[in-house]
Amino acid sequence: MLGIFFIGAIVISLLIFLVNRRGLTTVLSYVFLASEMGISIYAALNINTVDTRYYSFDALGVLFMMVLAILSIATFYHSRLYLIRHSFTRRQESIYYAALIMLIAAMTSAYFAENIALMWVSIEATTLFVSVLIIHERTKEAIEASWKYLFISSVGVALAFMGILFLSIVATKGGLSDLSLRNLLTIAQEMDTNWLKIAFLLVITGFSAKMGLFPLHTVAVDAHTVAPPPISAFISTTLMNVGFIGIFRVFTIIAQTEVLQWAQHVLLIAGILSIAMSAIQLLRIRHFKRMFAFSSLEHMGLVAIGLAIGGMGYYAAILQIVFHSFAKSSLFYQIGQVHSIYKSYWVKDIGKYFKVNPAGGFALLFAFISITAMPPSGLFISELILIKAMFAGGYAVIAIIILLLLTVVIFVFGKHLFSLLYGETDSTVNVSKIKLNPYETISQYVLLGLVVYLGVAPPAYFTDLVHQAIAILN
Amino acid sequence: MDYILIILYAVSLVYFAVAERMSKFVVILSMQGFILFGVVFFSLNEIEIFDFVFILTETILVKAMLIPWFMNRVRKHNQLKRVHEPYIPVFYSIIIVILSLGASFLLSNNLQNAQLHTKFFTVALASVMFGIYFIVVHRNIFSHVVGYLIIENGIFLFSLAVGSQMPLMVNLAVLLDVVMGVLVLGIFINRIGDTFHSVEIKNLSELKD
Amino acid sequence: MSILSIILIIVAAVFFPGIIGMMKSLVVGRKMPSIFQPLFDVIRLFKKGSIYSTTTSFVFRLAPLVYFATVFASMLFLPIAGERGLLTFDNDLVFFAYMLALGKFFMIIAAMDTGSGFEGMGANREALYSMLVEPAFFITMGSLALFTGYTSFYDLFTSVQINTDFSYIIGISGVYVLIFIAMVENSRLPVDDPRTHLELTMVHEVMVLDYSGFDLGLIHITSWIKFSIYTTLISNFLLPVDWPLGFQIACFFLIQAVVAGVMGLLESFRARNKLDKNPQWILMLSAIAIVTFLATLIIAEKIVLN
Repeated sequence: MLGIFFIGAIVISLLIFLVNRRGLTTVLSYVFLASEMGISIYAALNINTVDTRYYSFDALGVLFMMVLAILSIATFYHSRLYLIRHSFTRRQESIYYAALIMLIAAMTSAYFAENIALMWVSIEATTLFVSVLIIHERTKEAIEASWKYLFISSVGVALAFMGILFLSIVATKGGLSDLSLRNLLTIAQEMDTNWLKIAFLLVITGFSAKMGLFPLHTVAVDAHTVAPPPISAFISTTLMNVGFIGIFRVFTIIAQTEVLQWAQHVLLIAGILSIAMSAIQLLRIRHFKRMFAFSSLEHMGLVAIGLAIGGMGYYAAILQIVFHSFAKSSLFYQIGQVHSIYKSYWVKDIGKYFKVNPAGGFALLFAFISITAMPPSGLFISELILIKAMFAGGYAVIAIIILLLLTVVIFVFGKHLFSLLYGETDSTVNVSKIKLNPYETISQYVLLGLVVYLGVAPPAYFTDLVHQAIAILN
Repeated sequence: MDYILIILYAVSLVYFAVAERMSKFVVILSMQGFILFGVVFFSLNEIEIFDFVFILTETILVKAMLIPWFMNRVRKHNQLKRVHEPYIPVFYSIIIVILSLGASFLLSNNLQNAQLHTKFFTVALASVMFGIYFIVVHRNIFSHVVGYLIIENGIFLFSLAVGSQMPLMVNLAVLLDVVMGVLVLGIFINRIGDTFHSVEIKNLSELKD
Repeated sequence: MSILSIILIIVAAVFFPGIIGMMKSLVVGRKMPSIFQPLFDVIRLFKKGSIYSTTTSFVFRLAPLVYFATVFASMLFLPIAGERGLLTFDNDLVFFAYMLALGKFFMIIAAMDTGSGFEGMGANREALYSMLVEPAFFITMGSLALFTGYTSFYDLFTSVQINTDFSYIIGISGVYVLIFIAMVENSRLPVDDPRTHLELTMVHEVMVLDYSGFDLGLIHITSWIKFSIYTTLISNFLLPVDWPLGFQIACFFLIQAVVAGVMGLLESFRARNKLDKNPQWILMLSAIAIVTFLATLIIAEKIVLN
């Protein structure tokens, strides 16, 4: 089934790229979206089966795939609005859509891959397609950020590959090296611990460029700043999930051995440093998209800490990553709309947004509440579980430090967002001439509503899925 | 025979430390491709014939010819000549490359693992370490791509060291990495060269808070 | 007969610079000088008197004699064609290297003795280059010693077996490194240009700038013998010991001529390195020597790789 999906995706994107017609592009995008929904439903129905020899629909993959499917619809919708508002040539538009479709296909492959080498190949493929998307606006900053992202990501992913090779050293039995997860999980106990440690370090360093953890987080931040807003929304959520799944798979292997304690300490350090970096740098930021990118960094740090704590921490980490995807993407979509009115992302240029666009302003306010983890947001639930687990696990001091750092983040966020909504500005944009479509903000309300719903009153199916995803760790 | 090739590979790493012209980088990369071809030819006799032929063609075509040719085109397009003074003088780079070679040889002496072919592990590790050092020390993006390719050669040697039965997947991975990576990187270098009229990284520092 | 080696080396030394000069003029297209021309120059110098500057002391007068004596003494250790040198004992290759260094040391302090700024500069550079090339020599010889298990020249060269294909690496890179060491130690291109008359760019020539007459002749002879010594080492690397004696002597002269010809070619076609690139060029020799040493470690199974 997945094979058909991938071939279809390649065909569709090639068609869009070669035949430059808008009508065909729209039709094919709908076809692709429909097939994507189809695949996620199919995967949900056939959980834990093997498909196309190297893929398997495990619980975490299904969860992330659903997130991807929902966000794809929103991204396609906002991409259309974005491309219409800024005049791009038809060629550039078709490249955009073709790359976006291939990106989604590569991410699907990464979520479901059961063979670690295949997962690695998919992650590498996502790097390439994302660079094409980041450079879309062709400004000098876009070229610079795109180059840095592509290069450092490639080097990082190459290092991660070295880690996977080390894993396969210890996975070889009878001269046959089988890198499928089933095999690795069963022979995890017999692996030499030194190789495992080095492999884990390399994998974390390599995939931290994708996930946005310390140490290679800077390129992710740069990339999110210059990409077009719908793409920023997409990559700062679903692509970080890809990075997470890469680290998670190796972590599940480590969890079967005695290296678990050490690995959790490493993750703890990485998480704390990410949050610290984010809090410190946020104090200087005056650019909205960069601010949101650093906030993604901070949430990923919390996810890493969740993995490091264990027990309830695992549950909190998965919840956090799912809710963060929805909340962060709605922030980016709305800031895209803000940009189309004010033509700028800098704090000093934007003000009194509430008067101009009440629907959008309200969405931003709601999103602010969600992302800074205030109730009734689902992120509040996940962070609460995380802090509780930290206190219960004896990490009280670290919990207090994290809470202090989070306070800094909330402060900066609040300051700038409220200046956007209510503040005075000497911007010279004549806002009365802008035609606004309040129906654009419906997507954000839906996403934010999902965050609340899944957090406060999650359906049994959702909690079951999350428990299944972390079952392997216990 | 493979010991000779490994020593030749180590000598090529020393030449990378000494070389200062971009065209020399490309020539040494091509040489490394041929050495890797020889390594594969002489040592991989336990895998299936299809995998073997695939790896052979990949090494000789892609690593030894296609990529150096492409890098040469990029170099000519941007008219790159010499490497401007790197952060660390060449004198110390030579010392560092020798230290990394010595360290990796000593390390592989102490490794006992029946699955690992330590003779490849030595230069593989030295290659990766030196590639990272190369990227850090040089100041323009062409050299960065050359450093990336050195790392890739090292990883290829790692996969030789690890697998007696090399799964096709691993090789596909390296192939995809190298070809796609270098093609896209090369296109980017051309774009950057056209926009900024220079390939030094001090032009790429605009993105700040 | 051990006296054979001394005779052979001196004979080769006499012809060596002649061949270089002939090769250089052949390439350029001039009429070739006679092969004995350098010898005639030295004989002319011997007939002249010496002038000594008033700022110099006894060191200045002593240095050429010490230089010649040390090089001559080092020459006595070299085996040729399976015959041992006049002197041989264990670890004599260290003695050899430091005898040469002693001679160079005296030349350096004599250069500084003149009190001239140029010569001080030249002495400075000469000292640096010798220091950088010393590891290359010792490591190459050391890897050979590790390979055979002996440490004296005679035992070394008579028991080296270059038959497996891996040990060709040691042979080839040993010859390669020795040729370049010969170039550095004798101050030829690309390290130092013997024809340059700009004192700022001289290295060795400026050290002997103030000598005249007998001293200068002695220094010229000494540099020829040094060249011949290194070429003898190279031929020892290349020639197997079990060939018949006459054949080996013929090959010895052939190798001397070939090396001289190659030097002449290199001098005609290459420019001198930029002076600040010289240290890294010389260090590269040491680097290649170290790689050879690692190869020897693998052969001698000090490093066990599977």
